[in-house]
Amino acid sequence: MNDREINERLNGAKMPQGPNAEVLGRIGASLAESMRPVHPLPSRQLLAGGVESICAVVALIGATGLGFFGIAKMNALERLAVFLALGILVLVAARELVSTMIPGSRRRFSSGGLVAVTGLCLATVLAACFHDYQTTHFIHAGLVCLGIGLLHAIPAGLLSWLVLRRGFAVDAVSAGLAVGTLAGLAGVGMLELHCPNFQAAHLLVWHLGVLLASAGLGALCGSWASSRK
Amino acid sequence: MALYQEGDLDAATTLIHFISPKLYRFFAAQAVSRLEAEDLLQETWLRIHKVRHTYRPGEPAIAWFYAIARHVRVDHYRKAMRTTIREQELEETSAAGEAPAGRRDDLAALLAPLSQAERDVVEMLKIEGLTLDEVARATSSTVGSVKQKAHRAYKKLRKAFGSSKKRTEARR
Repeated sequence: MNDREINERLNGAKMPQGPNAEVLGRIGASLAESMRPVHPLPSRQLLAGGVESICAVVALIGATGLGFFGIAKMNALERLAVFLALGILVLVAARELVSTMIPGSRRRFSSGGLVAVTGLCLATVLAACFHDYQTTHFIHAGLVCLGIGLLHAIPAGLLSWLVLRRGFAVDAVSAGLAVGTLAGLAGVGMLELHCPNFQAAHLLVWHLGVLLASAGLGALCGSWASSRK
Repeated sequence: MALYQEGDLDAATTLIHFISPKLYRFFAAQAVSRLEAEDLLQETWLRIHKVRHTYRPGEPAIAWFYAIARHVRVDHYRKAMRTTIREQELEETSAAGEAPAGRRDDLAALLAPLSQAERDVVEMLKIEGLTLDEVARATSSTVGSVKQKAHRAYKKLRKAFGSSKKRTEARR
């Protein structure tokens, strides 16, 4: 059986009869009760710009408070590679996040794909730039960075959610994952500005760990939100 | 849609009459009872009304409607699974003589071998005539993923229809 025959069979199938007029009348009446003009959401670019700014501001405020030791220790090439990659990833994640909050939006990645692409790109850039393979104070220094990164990721995520609160997530878990990824990037950005520990293992495990933990937290929040309905 | 967002009741009524049969078919093709499909349709319109500000003028409205309809259906089944209402409702509706949607030549019966996601894609693409881009938008996925699901669905349908054809020929 070829595709044309399958199409013919599907098109020849008995279609369910439409809803009756009474149901349509009931729907119309229920909508009429609360009919009033509404303002459409702002443009995607504006919303994405808003959440991108939040990430940048949170990372900069955090590093201002704790010190710009990381960026000061980097050479020009490392600065360019790390912050260019972070900037591009924030742009991509912000646009995907906005798409999860507007029904019927075009997606370039699934939210899971976004986490994977973001994590892989950052890991590649960090592994290419930093070649110190020592693991001094690996756990202690790592836990401190993980904690600081998450402390900055959480407000970035909450503020992003606030900007997009008028949107509507058709899949709360996917939206949570996207907001968690973007917030995680804000946390990683702050760590790159602040943390002067350039040991490759530290960067790949603990700095990237902020991104993954934040994405996981976002997905959990989304799952919790959808189970509450 | 823009007039509906401006609060025009006539525009809303026109939309209800134009979109509802498509959404109803979408729910009914999932092998639910007529009553359940009507409930889902009403629930979808309430949701559409609540979030009508999220439609961006100039974007495909049909994908926006289907995205919300899918969300309502997922929510409905999640709730039903949690409270096992679905089983009770099915018992009640069959006791009340409600005809189930799935008969041999029904769309629901033909699409039965497919997974939920594949059924959505085939129905939107082949029955409702949406474009690949619109289906991708409605299902919050990429065009590539939609093509892959359609391909898998046709493979399953070919197998299912092929075996039923062989059985018919064998009976003759």
